[in-house]
Amino acid sequence: MDNYLPIFVLLVLGFLFAALSFTASAILAPRRPSVAKAAPYECGIVPRNEPPERFPVRFYLVAMIFIVFDIEIVFLYPWAVEFRALGTFGLVEILVFAAAVVIAFLYLLSNGALEWGPARRSAHWSSARTTASTVLHISPAPSDPRLSQASGGEAPEHETPAEELAEGSSEAPARAHPHEAA
Amino acid sequence: MSLFFLSALVLPKIAWSAILPELILLAAPLVLLAVSALSARRLPTGVYAGGMGAAGLASLGASVWLWTQVTPHGAGTAVDGAIAVDGFSVLVMILVSSVVVLAALIGEGYLRREGIGGPEYYVLAMFSAAGAMLMASADDLVLIFLGLEIMSIALYVLAGLDARRQGSGEAAMKYFLLGAFSSAIFLYGIALVYGATGSTNLPQIADFLAHNVASSDGLLLAGMALLLVGFFFKIAAVPFHMWTPDVYQGSPTPVTGFMAAVAKAGGFAALLRVFFASFGLLRDDWQPVIWLVAVVTLLVGAVLALVQRDVKRMLAYSSINHAGFILVGLEAATTRGIAASLYYLFVYGFMVVGTFAVVTVIARRGDEAHDLGSYRGLAQRQPFLAAMLALLLLAQAGVPLTTGFLAKLYIISAAVEAHSYALAVIAMVSAAIAAFFYLRVVVLMYAGAKSGVGLPAPLAATGAGEGAGSGELSPVAAYGPGAASAAELEGDRPEASRPDGAGGGEGHGEPDAAGVPATIALAIALCAGFTLLFGIWAQPVVELARQATLLFH
Amino acid sequence: MTDVSGAWYLSLAAALFGIGAFGLLVRRNVLVMFMCVELMLNAANLTFVTFARMLNDIAGQAVVFFVLVVAAAEVVVGLAIIVAIFRRRREATADDLHILRG
Repeated sequence: MDNYLPIFVLLVLGFLFAALSFTASAILAPRRPSVAKAAPYECGIVPRNEPPERFPVRFYLVAMIFIVFDIEIVFLYPWAVEFRALGTFGLVEILVFAAAVVIAFLYLLSNGALEWGPARRSAHWSSARTTASTVLHISPAPSDPRLSQASGGEAPEHETPAEELAEGSSEAPARAHPHEAA
Repeated sequence: MSLFFLSALVLPKIAWSAILPELILLAAPLVLLAVSALSARRLPTGVYAGGMGAAGLASLGASVWLWTQVTPHGAGTAVDGAIAVDGFSVLVMILVSSVVVLAALIGEGYLRREGIGGPEYYVLAMFSAAGAMLMASADDLVLIFLGLEIMSIALYVLAGLDARRQGSGEAAMKYFLLGAFSSAIFLYGIALVYGATGSTNLPQIADFLAHNVASSDGLLLAGMALLLVGFFFKIAAVPFHMWTPDVYQGSPTPVTGFMAAVAKAGGFAALLRVFFASFGLLRDDWQPVIWLVAVVTLLVGAVLALVQRDVKRMLAYSSINHAGFILVGLEAATTRGIAASLYYLFVYGFMVVGTFAVVTVIARRGDEAHDLGSYRGLAQRQPFLAAMLALLLLAQAGVPLTTGFLAKLYIISAAVEAHSYALAVIAMVSAAIAAFFYLRVVVLMYAGAKSGVGLPAPLAATGAGEGAGSGELSPVAAYGPGAASAAELEGDRPEASRPDGAGGGEGHGEPDAAGVPATIALAIALCAGFTLLFGIWAQPVVELARQATLLFH
Repeated sequence: MTDVSGAWYLSLAAALFGIGAFGLLVRRNVLVMFMCVELMLNAANLTFVTFARMLNDIAGQAVVFFVLVVAAAEVVVGLAIIVAIFRRRREATADDLHILRG
């Protein structure tokens, strides 16, 4: 433990210095705020509007889906290490486990969670959706003119199928959101 | 490392039949998900409801079969000691399976009315129910944690199911944050108990405590305290009840009923098992805590329910009050007390699901009409609903000839038997306070019909004030039949206040036109029938609960 | 190097747990509250691993696998709820959740 003593002393000194500096600054410094000082850039172009902050929701969604598959590996790894000892029982167990994950993945696909490309409303229950399309549908399908027409009535608030998923599934055009955009 | 494992690896023998109900409720939602993902057309919600109902019935059958196995052979464990197969767990399985069937019926009517498609409600409800069963039958703290999470995570999403209402999302968020907080506390408690006793297996913990005098062990006590806090959050006992009113109010009403029944069943089952069976030797340490929490829960739940204008919030506080009663049974820490708690839990599940099913219908399309005013004169407009709601509320209040009365009776007599006289008195006082707000709703429904007059002012405000202040039985008395002003205006009110009534156009969700959805009506009738039938013919269920506790592992 | 005893790990875990619990109670940003929950779960994980080492028992380490998965599931569900609620708002603050009040 003796070796760590200097480090500990250094840590304490560091904390003390930081605390002292902040206290001194809070007590001694004059405060005369003005509009110019509060601006993001003290010199240069005055910003006219706030920068847009919105990320596409799909970004989060893909990140979330990634986490699920990432965690699947956590269980696959120990199984792989002990594969021989676990034998047939282990194989069946892991297949059942994988099947559960695959079904969840199919559900995501069928809801259009992985469709990139331009926003298409009501992709969820479109007539273009078939069993085969769900299974094979990894790349974005060419946009259906009928669908974009169906959603034309409403303001194009960059709604994506992914957002639809987050909202549960119901006919999007028939719905009015109770709250306005901030 | 690897070589060591290779030689030591012994696969546990897995008795699949012991976890059959859970397996059914885990496999069925996967099938539903696959069907919904692979079907080309949008399936009607009835298909999923049928699937869920069938799964619920199958799991109910499996649970009953397990009961017939357990009764002659006694309790045992399965899956390498991780699962307890005893009367206690099987009885909770029967309760949860029944609630699944009821939730399928209620959910079908609700989702059709609201126009929400997709399998999500059914899938999540079944997962959640499987988690609750796992909590009840787990004989290992880690498995209890897993069950808790399977149940809770599905419930978080269910709370936010109705994305059109902002309140639903808020409920999900609040439930999620506080639920995750309590889960983390619970897990840390498990970690400390593991450190103190060297095992997470409940019988092994009990074994350790029997052979080591560890009652002064700070680590163990801290772990137990954290476990208790985690449980108190889940069952909504008072210092940790803050989320309950908000979540109950914001969630879609069928989900609220499901949540109230299933989350309480799972949470209490695990709480009773862990503290009665495993930490039974340390009861001197935890009994005072349970005593205090039970008292506060009983009183706060009853008093705050008096001042609520929103029926769902009122029922939320009433559920807190019920949690207090079940805790009284645990405080007694006798076999009789546990049997009373189990009986209470069992009959409460049916009462609360039925009550919220009625509330679902009355709320109309949009799920917004939860003000007490919506219940005024209900007996005139909806005699069936009013009668059922009156029965279920009176049962919750503990009126004789219902299961609710017997439940309260057994709890209080168990407390008296354990010499907790003060607690028994407080429980009775809180039952008396609680009777006010149940009766208020009942009188509101029937008084309006008798006088044939609706009351113009938002009556709930006055009702809340009087009920809390002077202990007036019902605000209707203040108005009396004489206050017959503006009757015509009031008659039209329900139609006017219905949100987008014209836009519905499906014919469902028009309760004023005698249109209680058939599925919901069936569920309500089943719940009310259970409550009344076994309230009068008490022997079978009481005996069931007693046997279940005798067969405690 | 000197050997670091298990008590240090346990203290660290307790400190992490405390920081997480405290942060959850005082911070108002939902995402930060969310991170605090993760901190608490991982503190429990550290405790499990430490005890497993001290007790020479593999079970405590196996628990960590399950907790990791549970934590991941919670992350996903929590983020989905946050995204669903705050899509149209600028800030994710718990004080914005004020519709339900009694």
